[in-house]
Amino acid sequence: MDTDKNTMLAVLQLLKKYNFKGTEELFRKEANLTDISIDDSQQSDSDVTSVLSAYKSEGDPAQYEKAYSELKKFVEGALDIYKHELGTILYPVLVHMYLELVYNNHSQEAKQLMEKFSGNLEEYYQDDLKRLSNVTKREQMAGNELTDTFKSNQFIIRMSRDTLSILKRHLQEKKYSVLLNIIQEHLYFDMYEGVARNKQQIEATSGAMVGEATRQDNKVKVYYGLLKEPDIQMEPNKEEEDDKEGGTDGDKPKKKKAKKDPLFSKKTKSDPNAPAVGRMPLPNLKDADKMEKIKALREASKRVVLGPDTLPSICFYTMLNTVYTITAAEIAEDSSLLATGFSDSTIKVWSLIPQKLRLMKTGEPLQDINREAEDVLVRMMDERTSETTKNLYGHSGPIYSLSFSPDRNLLLSSSEDTTIRLWSLHTWTCVVCYKGHLFPVWCVRFSPHGYYFSSASNDKTARLWTTDSHQPLRIFSGHYSDVDVIQFHPNSNYVASGSSDMTVRLWDCVTGNQVRLMTGHKGPIFSLAFSTEGRFLASAGADHRVLVWDLAHGHLVAALSGHTANIHCLSFSRDGNILVSGSLDCTLKLWDFIKLAEEMSLEDVNVSHNPDVKTNSESYLLRTFPTKNTSVVTLHFSRRNLLLGIGMFEST
Amino acid sequence: MSENESMYGTTLSQESIKVIAESIGVGNFPDEAAKDLAEDVSYRLKEIVQDAAKFMRHGKRQRMTAHDIDHALKIKNIEPTYGFIAKDHIPFRFASGGGRELHFVEEKEIDLNEIVATAGGQSWPKLPLEITLRAHWLCIDGVQPTIPENPPPVSKDAQKLESVDPTIKLSSKNQNIGIGKPGGGGKSQKLRNIETVHVKQLATHELSVEQQLYYKEITEACVGSDEARRAEALQSLSADPGLHEMLARMCTFIAEGVRVNVVQNHLALLIYLMRMVKALLDNPSLYLEKYLHELIPSVATCIVSRQLCMRPEVDNHWALRDFASRLMAQICKNFNTSTNNVQTRVTRMFSQALAKNYQTPLASLYGAIEGLCELGPEVIKALVVSKIKSISERIESCIEGQGLSSVDKNGAGHIKTLLVKSVAPVLKTIRSPPDYVDEYKQDYGYIGPALCAAVVKARTQPAALTTTATTTALTTNQQQGSNCTGKTLVQTVSSSNTGQQPGRTFMLGTSRNTTGSSATGGQKFVILQSRSQTPTISNINTTINTGSMQQQQQQQQTQTQTQQPQQQQQQQQQQVKLAQTNVAQQKTHVQSSTPKLVVVCMAASSHTNTSVTQV
Repeated sequence: MDTDKNTMLAVLQLLKKYNFKGTEELFRKEANLTDISIDDSQQSDSDVTSVLSAYKSEGDPAQYEKAYSELKKFVEGALDIYKHELGTILYPVLVHMYLELVYNNHSQEAKQLMEKFSGNLEEYYQDDLKRLSNVTKREQMAGNELTDTFKSNQFIIRMSRDTLSILKRHLQEKKYSVLLNIIQEHLYFDMYEGVARNKQQIEATSGAMVGEATRQDNKVKVYYGLLKEPDIQMEPNKEEEDDKEGGTDGDKPKKKKAKKDPLFSKKTKSDPNAPAVGRMPLPNLKDADKMEKIKALREASKRVVLGPDTLPSICFYTMLNTVYTITAAEIAEDSSLLATGFSDSTIKVWSLIPQKLRLMKTGEPLQDINREAEDVLVRMMDERTSETTKNLYGHSGPIYSLSFSPDRNLLLSSSEDTTIRLWSLHTWTCVVCYKGHLFPVWCVRFSPHGYYFSSASNDKTARLWTTDSHQPLRIFSGHYSDVDVIQFHPNSNYVASGSSDMTVRLWDCVTGNQVRLMTGHKGPIFSLAFSTEGRFLASAGADHRVLVWDLAHGHLVAALSGHTANIHCLSFSRDGNILVSGSLDCTLKLWDFIKLAEEMSLEDVNVSHNPDVKTNSESYLLRTFPTKNTSVVTLHFSRRNLLLGIGMFEST
Repeated sequence: MSENESMYGTTLSQESIKVIAESIGVGNFPDEAAKDLAEDVSYRLKEIVQDAAKFMRHGKRQRMTAHDIDHALKIKNIEPTYGFIAKDHIPFRFASGGGRELHFVEEKEIDLNEIVATAGGQSWPKLPLEITLRAHWLCIDGVQPTIPENPPPVSKDAQKLESVDPTIKLSSKNQNIGIGKPGGGGKSQKLRNIETVHVKQLATHELSVEQQLYYKEITEACVGSDEARRAEALQSLSADPGLHEMLARMCTFIAEGVRVNVVQNHLALLIYLMRMVKALLDNPSLYLEKYLHELIPSVATCIVSRQLCMRPEVDNHWALRDFASRLMAQICKNFNTSTNNVQTRVTRMFSQALAKNYQTPLASLYGAIEGLCELGPEVIKALVVSKIKSISERIESCIEGQGLSSVDKNGAGHIKTLLVKSVAPVLKTIRSPPDYVDEYKQDYGYIGPALCAAVVKARTQPAALTTTATTTALTTNQQQGSNCTGKTLVQTVSSSNTGQQPGRTFMLGTSRNTTGSSATGGQKFVILQSRSQTPTISNINTTINTGSMQQQQQQQQTQTQTQQPQQQQQQQQQQVKLAQTNVAQQKTHVQSSTPKLVVVCMAASSHTNTSVTQV
């Protein structure tokens, strides 16, 4: 509204200047500005010019350079406490000056400006500056993702009240219209009370394409707690389980009641931060699912508790003869299946256990099966078709992501051909092809409770789907660039997405709103992992760092550096004690998450108070395991905390 | 700043645009248009490459492929340029000339007719290998086992760094936590506080029981009598990644072994020890610089020692000298730096031996020359060529002189052969074409004519052959047709060796990394290339056989040439006498050497058989 008024005033002034009396009268009437005299508005002469220049081309391109170097000098000469916070405006100002110059066909000046000043900006902005500097013509600005983003969005800068007032005073003194205009038009200051931040604090959260997150972005409450485990009727199930045990293994049906009880009792406690049970409608558990749950619990009771002194064993699966062709890999939750996607659009599913992959029998023999039989699921399958690997053909582009359903009957794949396909692992055929995205789909994930799945695409959106509908339920749009990765929260109520605009966002599946915006990455994000208790989110990507976020308030709590290439996989151990990251630099690193969580819990955290970001990676790094020229594609903790890794070997 | 310069405003040049325009039939492209087009095309290209990078990253690669570009075009709704598929990275070739620089991609013309004609044959493109999945333990309870599937515990670079700057180990304690020894990060972290107080022990000196056992087994196998076991042991030494901790002990073993066996004149053991050195040198995960002070003297001993065997007149210690020389050359090539000056020091040692020509025994002289020759044509040019004349005087006196032992004569013959073989290729490059025997004789004395003949021969050969001549002695030997003995037969014997071991897996070079591990059960790898060059006892025996036979022929030749039958006869008798004193009663050399085979080598009987039949 304010800018509107300014514009009106500017127009009035212009009319007066050229003595268009009649028009002025009419304009005043129409704009409802009869009571304002022009003298009032004349006092802010600079305001007027700045408003005008937003629409017209600025006359003197040389002014930009001067204005910028003045601003730079001012920032450098400021008091140390304000210096770094003030410094945050340099990048957006330079970007917009450059764009304005280019827009007004002063390519030469634009280039000069860029060459002269870009080198002094932070290292993590250089990539974007480089991309920006490719744009040298007005025509090229149209359709360029980066310039569009800058043009249509305000760059968000967080500043303390004191810093902001210093900046304002300076701007009023200097009166560089170009500068004022840019700051007014394209920058948004999220002001806060308190002490100005220091360099480390600023650096921790800057780097995103359109600045930092405002406080408003992260105010909504997030129910990050885990859902109450569904009441599985202990007694009947136990019998059932015993029966099953007797039927299938028959070797050790003793002494597990005592062991399992504490586990059950622990799970039944409800978490104050958990979402209400019915908040997100989840599929009902079938008998088979319950059985599976019990099996998982039993496995879990045999699990090794990991820690700094008890590191996991790692079984590493190396894909041979696949140099540069493997594009995705995924291990099923119970570690029995491995799916790999290739750039030639095939999908291969491997069995990692002695049990082989089998095809379901055809209709007639299926009818002969006694449906009441105990092992009906086994009988359904055709023994003669058992193989250790099966191929799935159907896509017409590289497979970028794969995801097993929790019951392991279905597999989702996303591909460059813009489709998502759902495959049945009983019939080994494609069941559904979801066409919704218009551009390559980078990532697809099943919800931990099944039925729902979400996808992330090159079209800057993430979507929420259900397996039984060919249309998405929710479209999460807000990212300014490709959404590279997506991950379900363990309670299925939220999805987190990571993008090439260097932000991580958390979306509420129920409302479809963005509930967290987390900035701090300096490059595209390729991997996300929620901690087992649901409170923390780890993200990693092209900036070679693992960042850990506290979902309660959206704060960055730790930045773990050490890798030297893109990180493509992250995984928490089943007990949540260890975080492991795998990278293209052919190493995987184990991080001490207990220590991190402990230190975090000591700090008093609230919305406005950012905790100190822990960057002393050394003290959290437990071990680094190099592989032999094998880049790590996927990592997965088995139910017993054995770490499985998938990698592709590159012979030198 | 240079990075910034390359960052901004790199565009295609106008010329490029014009060239491209010409290539599609647009002549006389105006400058203005070319400039505008160049800018716009550059912008578009950069955009496409940036998008392609997204596909590259999602393909979990660090190298862009032609497919990525295709996909990037596709999302821009542009028809991809189908058909540009390259599995591997295609390097740009560079050419310059006429003041212009050009980068281009080399494309070979393919004759389709040829492919159709040879359908199903050798040149038919191979099917891609099937994708396989292979599991191994990357780590067991936090400890990374040293198996071939895992990288070596201490990388070669780290070993290298450590040998240059030992203090690095102190400062980078933290980095080693991850990789280091069993015991876990937690423990060593706890230890760190204490270690800051007293930092004494740099190297860990204790070996685990397994390592001790391994050491024992390996050293026994290496010098033992079982040739098959030795091959396995050497294979293990040259390929296993986890050896660096016992490297010090291995080197001491070798040094001590050489010292003792030189005194004892135990040729076979010296050869075994040199093969151990070779295996250690070949191991890609070991960096030997720290141990050169032990290895170089040992190897040098085997090159220039006055006597290496019990019977210099019959045993082929020349092969050992040759082999050790090659090792020395390899050491110099791998480890010479401006600080340690290994090569300079080694060269000085050899050339000093050459300088004291008349005092040095012939065997040592041979070693010194061979050692220098292995270091490459530059060294030959600088240090050997100038000495040829004085050497040939000495040889002349030995060969032509009266009343000298056959040992000297033999040695002189070897030196002559060696000189002709290795110096001729160099002479070819430094002397201009008309080769006159007289000139050569004047410049190089006694062996001038032989050299002249070899050079003339080398000149007439096709260029390709002569360039490889220095590296593979084999071809030159045959083509020079000189009376050089041995090597050709070594080659044949070793190839027949390979044929006789049906149970073994033969693998070569790089592919071993990928698939080698698949045969862990038997652990039998033989690398053809390296085997054919290593002297085994059986090889040497055969060379001895043929050597002596050829010697005989040579002697006959010289008989006819020099018209000194009496002396020859004398010599022959002498040799026969020696043979008699050895073991056998037969008169001819060929027969007399057969029983010796059994005495010395105890190799598999099949070997002896072949060698005999070959003889």
